[in-house]
Amino acid sequence: MSDGETRTAPAIPGLYRRAAVDAVLKLDPRTLIANPVMFTVEAGSALTTLLYLQALTGAGEAPAGFIGAISAWLWFTVLFANFAEALAEGRGKAQADSLRKMRQDTSAKKLDPDYTLIRGREPKEKYIAVVSSSALRKNDLIYVKAGDTIPVDGEVIDGVASVNESAITGESAPVIRESGGDRSAVTGGTGILSDWLIIRVSANPGEGFLDHMISLIEGAKRQKTPNEIALNILLLGLTVIFIAVAAALYAFSAYSVQAAGAGTTVTITVLVALFVCLAPTTIGGLLSAIGIAGMDRLIQRNVITTSGRAIEAAGDVDVLLLDKTGTITLGNRQAVEFIPVDGTTIQDLAETAQLASLADETPEGRSIVVLAKEKYELRGRTVGASETSIEMQFIPFSSQTRMSGVDQGQLHIRKGAADALFRYIETNGNSVSDELRQAVDDISRAGGTPLVVAQNGKALGVFHLKDIVKGGIRERFVQLRRMGIKTVMITGDNRLTAATIAAEAGVDDFLAEATPESKLRLIREYQAGGRMVAMTGDGTNDAPALAQADVAVAMNTGTQPAREAANMIDLDSNPTKLIEIVEIGKQLLMTRGALTTFSIANDIAKYFAIIPIAFASTYPALAALNVLGLHNGILAAVIFNALIIVALIPLALRGVQYRAMSAEEALRNNILLYGIGGLITPFIGIKIIDILLVLLGVG
Amino acid sequence: MATEPVQSIIRKQAKPAVLIFFLLTLIVGILYPFIVTGIAQVLFPVQSNGDLLIHNGKIAGSSQVGQPFSSPQYFWGRPSATSPVPYNAGASSGSNLGPDNPALADAVKTRVGALHAADPKNTQEIPVDLVTASGSGLDPDISVAAAYYQVPRVARERNLSEPEVSALVNSQVQQRQFVIFGEPRVNVLSLNLALDDISAEKISVPQSAGSGADPTDPPASLFGMRIADWFQLLLFILLVMFIVVPLGAWMAKIYTGKPNFFSPFLERIEQKIFLIAGVDPGEEMDWKQFAVAVMVFSVPCIAVVFFLQLVQQVLPLNPAGLSAVPPDLALNTAVSFATNTNWQAYVPEVTMSYFTQMAGLAVQNFLSAAVGMSVLVALILAFTRKSGTTIGNFWVLLTRSVMILLPICLVISLLLVSQGTPQTFSGAVTVPLLDPVNDSAGTLVTTQTIPLGPVASQVAIKHLGTNGGGFYNANSAHPLENPTPFANFVETFAIIIIPAALCMTFGAMIGSRRKGAALLIAMSLIFLPLVGLAIWSEGAGNPALSPLGVDQAPSDLQSGGNMEGKEVRFGIVPTVLFAVVTTVTSCGAVDAMHDSFMPLAGGIMLFDMQLGEVVFGGVGSGLYGMLIFAIIAMFIAGLMVGRTPELYGKKIEQFEMKMATIVILIPILLILAFTSLAVLTPAGQAGVFNPGPHGFSEILYAFTSASQNNGSAFAGLSANSLFYNLATAFCMFVGRYATIVLTLALAGSLVTKKIVPAGEGTLRDYRLLFIVWLVFVIIVVGALSFLPALSLGPIAEYMGMIAGGMIHV
Repeated sequence: MSDGETRTAPAIPGLYRRAAVDAVLKLDPRTLIANPVMFTVEAGSALTTLLYLQALTGAGEAPAGFIGAISAWLWFTVLFANFAEALAEGRGKAQADSLRKMRQDTSAKKLDPDYTLIRGREPKEKYIAVVSSSALRKNDLIYVKAGDTIPVDGEVIDGVASVNESAITGESAPVIRESGGDRSAVTGGTGILSDWLIIRVSANPGEGFLDHMISLIEGAKRQKTPNEIALNILLLGLTVIFIAVAAALYAFSAYSVQAAGAGTTVTITVLVALFVCLAPTTIGGLLSAIGIAGMDRLIQRNVITTSGRAIEAAGDVDVLLLDKTGTITLGNRQAVEFIPVDGTTIQDLAETAQLASLADETPEGRSIVVLAKEKYELRGRTVGASETSIEMQFIPFSSQTRMSGVDQGQLHIRKGAADALFRYIETNGNSVSDELRQAVDDISRAGGTPLVVAQNGKALGVFHLKDIVKGGIRERFVQLRRMGIKTVMITGDNRLTAATIAAEAGVDDFLAEATPESKLRLIREYQAGGRMVAMTGDGTNDAPALAQADVAVAMNTGTQPAREAANMIDLDSNPTKLIEIVEIGKQLLMTRGALTTFSIANDIAKYFAIIPIAFASTYPALAALNVLGLHNGILAAVIFNALIIVALIPLALRGVQYRAMSAEEALRNNILLYGIGGLITPFIGIKIIDILLVLLGVG
Repeated sequence: MATEPVQSIIRKQAKPAVLIFFLLTLIVGILYPFIVTGIAQVLFPVQSNGDLLIHNGKIAGSSQVGQPFSSPQYFWGRPSATSPVPYNAGASSGSNLGPDNPALADAVKTRVGALHAADPKNTQEIPVDLVTASGSGLDPDISVAAAYYQVPRVARERNLSEPEVSALVNSQVQQRQFVIFGEPRVNVLSLNLALDDISAEKISVPQSAGSGADPTDPPASLFGMRIADWFQLLLFILLVMFIVVPLGAWMAKIYTGKPNFFSPFLERIEQKIFLIAGVDPGEEMDWKQFAVAVMVFSVPCIAVVFFLQLVQQVLPLNPAGLSAVPPDLALNTAVSFATNTNWQAYVPEVTMSYFTQMAGLAVQNFLSAAVGMSVLVALILAFTRKSGTTIGNFWVLLTRSVMILLPICLVISLLLVSQGTPQTFSGAVTVPLLDPVNDSAGTLVTTQTIPLGPVASQVAIKHLGTNGGGFYNANSAHPLENPTPFANFVETFAIIIIPAALCMTFGAMIGSRRKGAALLIAMSLIFLPLVGLAIWSEGAGNPALSPLGVDQAPSDLQSGGNMEGKEVRFGIVPTVLFAVVTTVTSCGAVDAMHDSFMPLAGGIMLFDMQLGEVVFGGVGSGLYGMLIFAIIAMFIAGLMVGRTPELYGKKIEQFEMKMATIVILIPILLILAFTSLAVLTPAGQAGVFNPGPHGFSEILYAFTSASQNNGSAFAGLSANSLFYNLATAFCMFVGRYATIVLTLALAGSLVTKKIVPAGEGTLRDYRLLFIVWLVFVIIVVGALSFLPALSLGPIAEYMGMIAGGMIHV
């Protein structure tokens, strides 16, 4: 994981105090009903409290001290669960707040509806009305100029400006935003450094990406994700079973007292305690905290999302579509070799190459200069000498000629794609030698890009340009494969080039000569085969594919259509981020699964703590099942049940440890840790609590 | 797709429902028993008519049915709990006394006293079968040890020498059947007839070298179980393993319409049925249509059985002239048989006419099994189909299921007839008693009535279809319903093969045998330890009897163990195997009285059912229940590996979890709620027979059995009351049909899903890890739901025996 990009949670003063207050406020049954497991626990707490009050009058079913202690710890159980949720919310809010700072209500210069856009001209004053940013609606036009803060998300429809987006991205270098193309999207809260823009508002207030994210965290609009709902159904089912078990026990106990002619019917307090201990309170209490924490982890990596569903889907992804450039390879091709032809010496070729590329500011051009310098030991002075002698004229690359070069007096140097140069050579009356064709073909076959260089219409040689695969990316793909995720490289390159890079990078498959249509088709094919597809994109032409993908991450630098089609936005615009998003998704599900297993496995021990004591008066022989030799088994189990929630809050917020491994390994490890651990832990914990209770003189 | 209103589906399916019901009734309710009877009467004329024993030219009794002996000059048989007279073959029954019921210890003490009084000089420990009541009350046999024990008394009374009588006993010993099955035993009637012949000097004392076994030798054993028992157990397991693969593959072929040796016959019948019923076999149903068809079909099933009982007195094949069944009992019985439960609140011999049994109950044995299998196949189809909507045609699957059961039943029924199970339409025969006995009113009874009927044809499907409803009250403990150790083996085998083989059918249909085998292994991993534990519990005998001078130790001459409610011919291990098989499979047939099992074994049988009847389970219903548990297990496991869980390539989402959770919830809630209701009301408490925690177990067992559609009972409970008839009928109905409808809804959702191709990130649903996890989930859900209830029943009883110093652990 690229830890350097991780935004650390800001230290929040009063986080715990606020969470503690929220925990109490969340006792309101109207809000707690959203969590049925904890709601039933609260109902149980209320019931035992009433029983306690009754016991205080001397008419209790059991000693008031016992009922009071049970009742208190049941309340703590609810409070601890609420606290976990409040804590997760608090941390998420703090994350969101720091994002929201730029989202404060600002003034906006709204353009009158009568205003008609004139390209390249700033609107006249009379059309501008200053309004609050919250008054803006979708499709309104606004005007911003240097020194302004862009009030809301939008799309540039006119003007060019440099924008400081460091508030969101943390990247201090300003970026250019202009109408049309891939750099037209602006984010609310970012600042204009120079020039001006006319922006079309893309969302009503409260509907922007950030607003979505903030509301996801804050709970008011937090909707449960599909997996969470499915899990909740299971937990609710278990809760219903345990309510039935506890209620039936009252009848069973009453009958047993009658049949055995001994003992007393089990008290309601004990039955409520039994129910709460059995109910999946551990996972039930931590479930929403786990979900919030998942989103929180996403924000920490500078990714914002509009739905929790997308995070879950990320865990399910089994096909990753990755853009070659920037994700798999370093942004640009680099020259790795010069091949002289037709009798040219390598020294001459290198010198010419350097000359031809001196003014070429493209990364390819620069890499040629670097190669000439490093491999062929051409010093700057060699060039400098000729530079001063005669005026040089640089010929920039154009899409018509598909060549670039330099003219220096009678010296015409050209470099460019092979077919363009072949034509250039032939127009100059020379023929393309077999040696040259051979060299070009060799490079193409090796997956490289040949760049032919010619001087005065005569071929000198070929540069071998090559994509450089990012360090460590191959290992990353091996990990992904172990996780069962297939990687597909998307590139505009031809098949041959694509295949070479694909092999070098170790991706499973590739899509060469990709067009927006072929990308969309590929995604649909995978989905029809039952797979979940994730992709990243930034251009407008990525939008259909992004909309089709199950997990679609748009670069923050992307166009507004791309951002709207996506369900996540990476503020760092880092295409590798997709891999981390998948890991966060998986970790989220694993944490739920692990704590569910732990919670259920705990119950076995609780039975051993409660049942023998609860029915000892009727069937004293059952005392032999009190294998832990507990004195206050019931109270100890209830206390353990409450404390385990607190103990697991860090795990819920942090997520279970995640490593790339196969499903089998992951399951085995988690069963051993949370299943077997869940069986054993409560035996130890309850015994310790029981010993402490005895030391404290209880019971 | 526009959803069709339910009313219009009902209208559409009503006609095929009624027509198919009557056509299948004709085939399995009339043709089938008549054909079996015809063949049986020709091939096995003696066995099919009660296996009457002709002695010196006169009928002396039935070879299969025991007679009471109380005169000291005769060998005595097993104590019998029938009333009003022991060995009343018209009303077979066990004592149903619980192991720690003081009445049991008292009864044993009385019997020990009687034996001692008859032979004061004999100070040997008394073999256990001689002082414990048999399961049927008609056990014809005693152990060899029990025969030897009586030799001194009989020799003295008859003025014969002990070696002479011993030699006679040795000549009468029936060794293990085919060397392997059951226990060496002595038929008491046959022995006593021979004894009379010797006294009358009709025959001479046979020359015999003795049994060869030294009773003081400990039997050859391994891990505390006799080698002979190991053989039976392992043979059973091996044969089941051997049969499931071809049987499962064959069923898959039939369901998918692939050609097989049976298809020429099957296709001809099928086409006729569909033609008459107006069913287009190519027309598939979505889940709603399928569910409605199942429910509509249940109407004639329940109604016809109900009305048959009400009017049986005017119908043919009622040789005993039985009168109409009371409505509450008739309703209970109708629901019971239509739901594949076969809970029996009645004594069949004195309640149901041959016609009711044959054309009503036995038909339901076929049809209810076939319904279960059809629902399972629909669910399997849902797993195998990609983005579909339909899950098969219920009428086609139903008919094919019946056609699968029918030929196998034919074989089983003839096997049973060959062993001595009756197959006739004649009425009961009366035979003389060799040693007349007084009934409870003091009247001398000199004859015994041997009940007959079309038994074998019904018993075959009772087992094969995991139904369990006995032709006789004592069910498979009855010596006519289950005459020999080999018959017992066949019956046990017949219970388990279809549920087990359906796993392989599933594997074949889903295209991965490993996936089918995985489920079978999961079931076995639960089943085998439970068998082992139950055998250990029963084999150790009842500690309450030890201080009374009773010998319960296994030897070469007796199986020993807890013999109350069990039959000598089977012995402990096959009986316990039967008991566990019948409870894990939702069959509910019994070859011993479950009420008299030791608390641990009784608790295991309760727990078997409480696991949800998914360990093999009922035909069809077991595997669909298992698949539902697999969904739950996979859901949690899937979360733990970090992706939305998928089972067999189908994603498990909200709807699946909702259906699966409710399916598991329903029987649990039924059991807990109705047991509570019963223990709190006088009507419920009134049925209890045994005191203390065992009485609680009886009620818990009743509602567990009904809700899980098992049908076996802790039969001491007086269940033929208005309260129990209606309450158990409700549990049976909801436990069956709610589960079916929800399962079909689940299938309807699964079938629409894509099939996710398996990759490295997919959890292999056939690997050992998942199998173990599935087992863990099943056991934990069962244990968490029922441990408290069990702790007030069998666990309290067991712990009480430990605390009372009776059991040392």
